[in-house]
Amino acid sequence: MSPEELAFLALALIAIVTGTLALLVRELIHTIVWIGVFFVDLAALYFLLLAPFLGVLQLGVYAGAVTILLLFGIMVTRKRIFSREAATGITAVPVALAVVAFIFLLVALPEFPQGELTVRSFDPSLLSQNLFGPGGPWLLLLGLVMLSALIGAIYLVREGRE
Amino acid sequence: MTFADFALPFLPEILVLVGVLLVLLLDVFGVKRIEVFGSITVGATLLALLFVVADLGFLPFAALSTVPASRIDIPLAVVGTPLYSFTSLGFVFQAIFLSATLLVSLASMSRSSYEKGAGVFYALVGMATLGMLLVGIASDLIFLLLAIEVTAISTYLLVGYTRRDPRSLEAAMKFYVIGALSTVISFFGASLLFGAYGSTNLYYLRSVGGAVGYPTLILLGYGLLIAGLAFKVTLVPFHAWAVDVYDGAPSDVSAFLAGGTKKIGLFAFFLVFLGPVLFFTTTGTSNPFNAGVLNTGPIFQIVLGVLAVVTMTVGNVLALMQKEMKRMLAYSSISQVGYMMIGIVIATSPAIAGATLQIFSHTFMKTGAFLVVAAVASLGIGPLISDWKGLGQRRPWLSIAFALILLSLAGVPLTVGFVSKFVLFSSAVQAQGYFIWLAVAGLLNSAISVFYYGRVLKVMFFDAPDPEPEATVAGPSPPVSERLSMGGLGYARASTIALIAVVIVTFGIFPQVILGPIQSAAQHFLIAGP
Amino acid sequence: MTTLAITGFLALSFALFAIAIFGILTRRNFILLLVSLEIGMNAAILNFVYFAALAPVNAGSTNGLPGQSIAVVLIGFAATEIAVGLAIVLALNRSKGSINVADSTTLRN
Repeated sequence: MSPEELAFLALALIAIVTGTLALLVRELIHTIVWIGVFFVDLAALYFLLLAPFLGVLQLGVYAGAVTILLLFGIMVTRKRIFSREAATGITAVPVALAVVAFIFLLVALPEFPQGELTVRSFDPSLLSQNLFGPGGPWLLLLGLVMLSALIGAIYLVREGRE
Repeated sequence: MTFADFALPFLPEILVLVGVLLVLLLDVFGVKRIEVFGSITVGATLLALLFVVADLGFLPFAALSTVPASRIDIPLAVVGTPLYSFTSLGFVFQAIFLSATLLVSLASMSRSSYEKGAGVFYALVGMATLGMLLVGIASDLIFLLLAIEVTAISTYLLVGYTRRDPRSLEAAMKFYVIGALSTVISFFGASLLFGAYGSTNLYYLRSVGGAVGYPTLILLGYGLLIAGLAFKVTLVPFHAWAVDVYDGAPSDVSAFLAGGTKKIGLFAFFLVFLGPVLFFTTTGTSNPFNAGVLNTGPIFQIVLGVLAVVTMTVGNVLALMQKEMKRMLAYSSISQVGYMMIGIVIATSPAIAGATLQIFSHTFMKTGAFLVVAAVASLGIGPLISDWKGLGQRRPWLSIAFALILLSLAGVPLTVGFVSKFVLFSSAVQAQGYFIWLAVAGLLNSAISVFYYGRVLKVMFFDAPDPEPEATVAGPSPPVSERLSMGGLGYARASTIALIAVVIVTFGIFPQVILGPIQSAAQHFLIAGP
Repeated sequence: MTTLAITGFLALSFALFAIAIFGILTRRNFILLLVSLEIGMNAAILNFVYFAALAPVNAGSTNGLPGQSIAVVLIGFAATEIAVGLAIVLALNRSKGSINVADSTTLRN
């Protein structure tokens, strides 16, 4: 087993465990810790896939911004940060559903593409040429999404003088 | 290619965006009158509608066309791989979306003149419209999903924009959770399709069809896309949110959701699924990993057909049991989606034309119905159907307009609702085979729907009004100002409802005006569209 | 030159997707809902990144670059979506004082 495969197995295991823990721990603040680890772990996976630009972006946007955003969300919406109401109401049906779906996917796995993935690295300058060339409309649409989010979110959160 | 050559085809989108920015600018600089924002939005939408109709080649306006004819309905080989393309069916849908925006923004001008957040309301309506217009020109899966998200994010915030009202904010939260769930599912499906095809271009997906080595990836990808889009169009196992959201949102916004933004999901179904449904008779090709042959056409036809029949039946049966007007209309809106899905399942050009016509008529009917509900609520009449007793005597014109809308929804002749159902169901009969069952199911459901529409008509026209109804009504009375004339409705809202009634009757009597262009657009779409 | 088993990546992203769906269906706290959504979006983004490396192998595609472009756009998009969700929940929190989805019962039948 090559070092890359070992690294992948370790990272995949960490991703699954932290992702599950983030949803199962009792205190909301621990969720933030676990999801932070999860995001960093995925960034490591992108580095393993020879996509360093995406890895850095993942670190900056997710591990940095989104985690802090969620933390602020918790801080603003509750008086005590360490409150214990997170992990309640694990009902049998959704668990069974998720497990069945995953088992189905595992069974179907031999049907999926097999073999070795020879990872290719892309020059970040090529990526930017694609983003601002043929893929430009995607970026424009992202801008439009952000514009409407900005308009509405500012209005919703602003303290009105009514 | 000069900049003008590049930008001109996008003139409708640019106009709407300029309208949004103008509204925001004026809002920031302290103009607070709803009439100003409303007129800007209505003006921008009207201009955009004019150019879209010109692109469709309607004679009086054809000279205004901004897209050169050499770029409309061009098949795959010429197009290459841009993320957008111009199809006449796309223009038809853009015209439908723009009419919904036009009606809603016109009617909303009747609200209180200095209402808080009027600028934000119109800016978000404009952004949602922009997203809908972009859906009309999409030819790439990611472009399509992101354009849907532009609309979706605007509508989450629109539902919650009366931020002092917990009901509306709760509806916004529900809408957001369901919408985000459907987004995750759709993007995951799209990523699997990208893995199977190596591209997200819809032309490429359609030309390759099932001739790719990973049938399971394709099946899963399209299956997840069906689930994700089904949330957006409220197909039945994924419909439960719609009623709560339409009920909790302000009525003008409900009109926009049911009449306008829901339709983008249907056009997305057109773009994504007409390819697979039609062209998936695959032969195995060279495949680096494992050879796979898959005939997915029948699978998707059966899945979508069953969803269509279940949707119309469940929607209708639940509508029968409702006591509140808005909830009844929401369920009837769900059942109408079932009819529209018939066109996608059959996927012949008459069927697509029928479904498009059904979407066209439903836009006017449902927008009109919710606007009437908003108007009636502004008169201080309660939300229950039984509260509408004797409306025919107290508000004869409003009642007649509402009766027209309901008759059209039920599919009574001489209304546009009859024409669209006729074209749709006859296309199912023409298509032969088990498709006839779709027509039978549709007709049975139309019969069911007559019951609950008829009940409303009976309550309005034949039940005696409660004695002194105005005095008995509890709750907030509408703000009375000198502007709320036209029997307390406001000029803008009253004229919008009148306009809708005129459209329903006019196109019911002269359907060929729109039927011709829609049929030719559907034919071109089958040959050349993504 | 790195080589990795494709099946492993698919199993990972399916697992993450299953976790996300499970979270969205069971968690009642809005923050946990947002976390589940992020896990799901990350699964999709991961798919795009490694299929970008796989794409040159496929027939008909010369280049996997679009996959990485899509991943960049989706990272930005998912962050925007979270911000919108938080805005709605802050407004709701101000008017009601609770951010549990289960407490929102005004609209039930």
